[in-house]
Amino acid sequence: MSLQNRNAQIIYLRERNFIMLKKDLMMRNPLRAVSDENGYILPEGGLGTVVARAGVGKTALLVQLSLNSLLKGDKALHISLGDPVRKVSLWYKEVFNNIGIQYQIEKIDDLWNELLPQRFIMTFNIDGFSVPRLDERLTELADQNIFIPQMILVDGLPFNKDMKRADLQALKKLSEKFNSHIWFTVRSHRHEEPDSDGMPIQIAEFADLLDVVIKLEPQESDIKLNVLKGSGSISSQNLSLDPATMLIKE
Amino acid sequence: MSIEMNKIRNIGISAHIDSGKTTLTERILFYTQRIHAIHDVKGKDGVGATMDSMELEKERGITIASAATFCEWDNHEINIIDTPGHVDFTIEVERSLRVLDGAILVLCSVGGVQSQSITVDQQMKRYKVPCIAFINKCDRSGANPDRVVDQLREKLGHNAIAMQLAIGLEAEHQGVVDLATMKATYFDGDNGDILRVEEIPAELQELAEERREALIEEASNFCDELAEAFLEEKEISAEMILSAMRKGVLTRTVTPVYMGSAYKNKGVQPLLDASIALLPDPSEVSNTALDLDNEETPIELGTDSSDPTVALAFKLEDGQYGQLTYIRVYQGSITKGDTLINTRTGKKTKIGRLVRMHASQMEDIDKIPAGYIGALFGIDCASGDTFTDPKLNYSMTSMFVPNPVISLAIIPKDNKAQINMSKALNRFSKEDPTFRTFVDDETNETIIEGMGELHLEVYVERMRREYSAEVTTGQPRVAYRETITKRAEFNYTHKKQTGGSGQYGRVAGYMEPFSEGEFEFINKVTGGSIPTQFISSCEKGFKAGLVKGALMEFPVTGIRVEINDGASHSVDSSEMAFQAAARGAFQEAYKKAKPVIHEPIMKVVIETPTEFQGTVMGTINQRRGTILGAQEEGPMCVVESQVPLAEMFGYSTILRSSTQGKAQFTMEFANYRQVPQSITEELQKKKAEEGKGAA
Repeated sequence: MSLQNRNAQIIYLRERNFIMLKKDLMMRNPLRAVSDENGYILPEGGLGTVVARAGVGKTALLVQLSLNSLLKGDKALHISLGDPVRKVSLWYKEVFNNIGIQYQIEKIDDLWNELLPQRFIMTFNIDGFSVPRLDERLTELADQNIFIPQMILVDGLPFNKDMKRADLQALKKLSEKFNSHIWFTVRSHRHEEPDSDGMPIQIAEFADLLDVVIKLEPQESDIKLNVLKGSGSISSQNLSLDPATMLIKE
Repeated sequence: MSIEMNKIRNIGISAHIDSGKTTLTERILFYTQRIHAIHDVKGKDGVGATMDSMELEKERGITIASAATFCEWDNHEINIIDTPGHVDFTIEVERSLRVLDGAILVLCSVGGVQSQSITVDQQMKRYKVPCIAFINKCDRSGANPDRVVDQLREKLGHNAIAMQLAIGLEAEHQGVVDLATMKATYFDGDNGDILRVEEIPAELQELAEERREALIEEASNFCDELAEAFLEEKEISAEMILSAMRKGVLTRTVTPVYMGSAYKNKGVQPLLDASIALLPDPSEVSNTALDLDNEETPIELGTDSSDPTVALAFKLEDGQYGQLTYIRVYQGSITKGDTLINTRTGKKTKIGRLVRMHASQMEDIDKIPAGYIGALFGIDCASGDTFTDPKLNYSMTSMFVPNPVISLAIIPKDNKAQINMSKALNRFSKEDPTFRTFVDDETNETIIEGMGELHLEVYVERMRREYSAEVTTGQPRVAYRETITKRAEFNYTHKKQTGGSGQYGRVAGYMEPFSEGEFEFINKVTGGSIPTQFISSCEKGFKAGLVKGALMEFPVTGIRVEINDGASHSVDSSEMAFQAAARGAFQEAYKKAKPVIHEPIMKVVIETPTEFQGTVMGTINQRRGTILGAQEEGPMCVVESQVPLAEMFGYSTILRSSTQGKAQFTMEFANYRQVPQSITEELQKKKAEEGKGAA
């Protein structure tokens, strides 16, 4: 047998099929350690938040949570208040490409094309957004069987004095109705002191409605994921974001 | 025609479909007294606008070809290019932008920044065209110029600053307040040609002062003198503001915004004043050419009429007296009797008749000086050709030409139509590089290719009308492609021994997917197992395999072939034999390399009232489309999606009927993507049936 033929025994990473590739990416994903056996961090109908100051990496983390569920085969609805679709798309592409580089996947574009139909971006002007309106849109999509999300991400919902407890309760209901779970981003400010339980003041009064609260805190060389509230494995993990790629690392 | 360079403006009017470019141009021509009556685009008088000189354009109310026309205003000469607004004709827009020095971006006061405004704006950015904005249709219900200014800032990233304030909106729209002079202008007379300048209405005074302050603050960024005067609270003249804004416009750092309603004859004259005051003259814009003798190094062109000539033919048209070539002279000048060289063909050309165009009428001139746009008669060339002085060998930057994505078979009705058709096709493919034509060897049918359904439809119509060539068309066909997904090895021997000299050649190596280009051939043969003189024959043989893939006979792309071994025979090996061997090797490996079919995917952007959002998404979903997202903006919603071109035939009708005609869409090529298995099977079945039908 010639040398050339023996070379052919090597299995190239890029030639493996997408299912294996997806599984592999999930196995190597640091988020796996904090998920339950089905790969979920939040329970059905659950609400989770990512709290951080502006520019620290809320959206990057949100996109990774979303990608994780896309790889699992779930459908994710990404709602952005303020940013146009194009910009949100770019976030996904950027994070996904970074994952591709980190795990040396060559057919990243093809894999991306395969995941694309599982993601849906919806953008609203901040004042144009309301829970009944979102419910109406989602019901419409579900009725026509166009898109039924298992995960909803809401980026940029202002947690200020206008935020009512009833709004969050309505969102929780919505999440239950679609058997999904919802992640939010919450923007904090440098000068604000947390409340007595260590909760950021923006969400302090709603803390009981939230299942998981993750705070991003920049430290010397990386950004730490500080779990302020959470159940089981998530609170004991030591995760952070790599500031260069904004990817989660252990 | 001696005129100073600073008195020339070459401007374009670009915008989204239906925001009123052609109406605006028509009004400009009227006020500059180039035409003596106003006709509307979809006019009831049956004459149509002057700029839409093609019959078809009048009928459909769209602008296809960019007619270049010239007019005079305030002792300045303005050349106007009316650019087509539909994406299907984007190559025309791009080519127009190449020859412009400045542009007016027209926006609808109701629709605001629409999807195609974004495409057009990106093109303007690419060619660094300075621009001012005009918010049209302030008389329509729902008009909101302030919102459009905000959108210019947010969606297009322009540093937009209002130069005017509308006096009344919707049905109440009467005129505009000029924030530089702080005067109100009203437009009287049947055609709005009598300007009445008055004091600002009391109720607008406060708002006008506030806006003027904002304008001056922005303008002071571009002029220290103005900044000083502003800080010291001195009197600031309108001239100071305009000259400061001009500096900002030339560097594309600010976009002054004007407003009005072309249809209601309001705000057009101030816009003309602004074009002269704010947009650059040809000497203020730098243009570069590529030096072909010097590895295409970019060369900055001068703007002097005494320099050696460099000119670009940017548009061809069939006039009554033969081919009309629109040309922009960058440096030097073109005079009757000059001899120039077409750098693409290297042919010498003698300049005959020179004209200046006014839509479909023309005027003879003797010379086209630098910075000017004119037209030539009797020149044989294609669009995008560069003409230079024989001393030079420059080419204007080559323009990006996308590959066609759709094709259509056309069959002439009779012999006469056949002759006319070939004349028409010859002309069209010269005019428009995205339009191609060829004869299919197997079916003997004439095939035309282009960028979209509408693109081809328009050409078929033009054949009928302008060339009286009656043709019947086949079903539009999508430009599918084949490619491989796996590496596969080949080791093929071509051997023939049937009397006379035999044929012998063996090639071995592998083929693999190649994402950076269409085809790559690598020769790694060592020790002369294939003699060097036959290597190119091998490459030829592999290339022959690319023409038709074994899967569905579509062209094959994205393949890298490496040959690393082979064998030859001292007598029986020939170029023919190795070509045949390579062809055989290609077929052998191709089947093993898991070939798949790729189809063109279009980026489809639909703007619809929110109440139809669900319906619109449904139509995308039915077409194998992927919805990327939905963006809500007030009463409108923009749905961005990717849809296979094959599913988009007749979509405009479906969209219209399912949204009461309130939604519109634009479509452009995005990428090629693998066809799902079920569709591949369908295609194969269809092909098999066609085969039966032919037999």
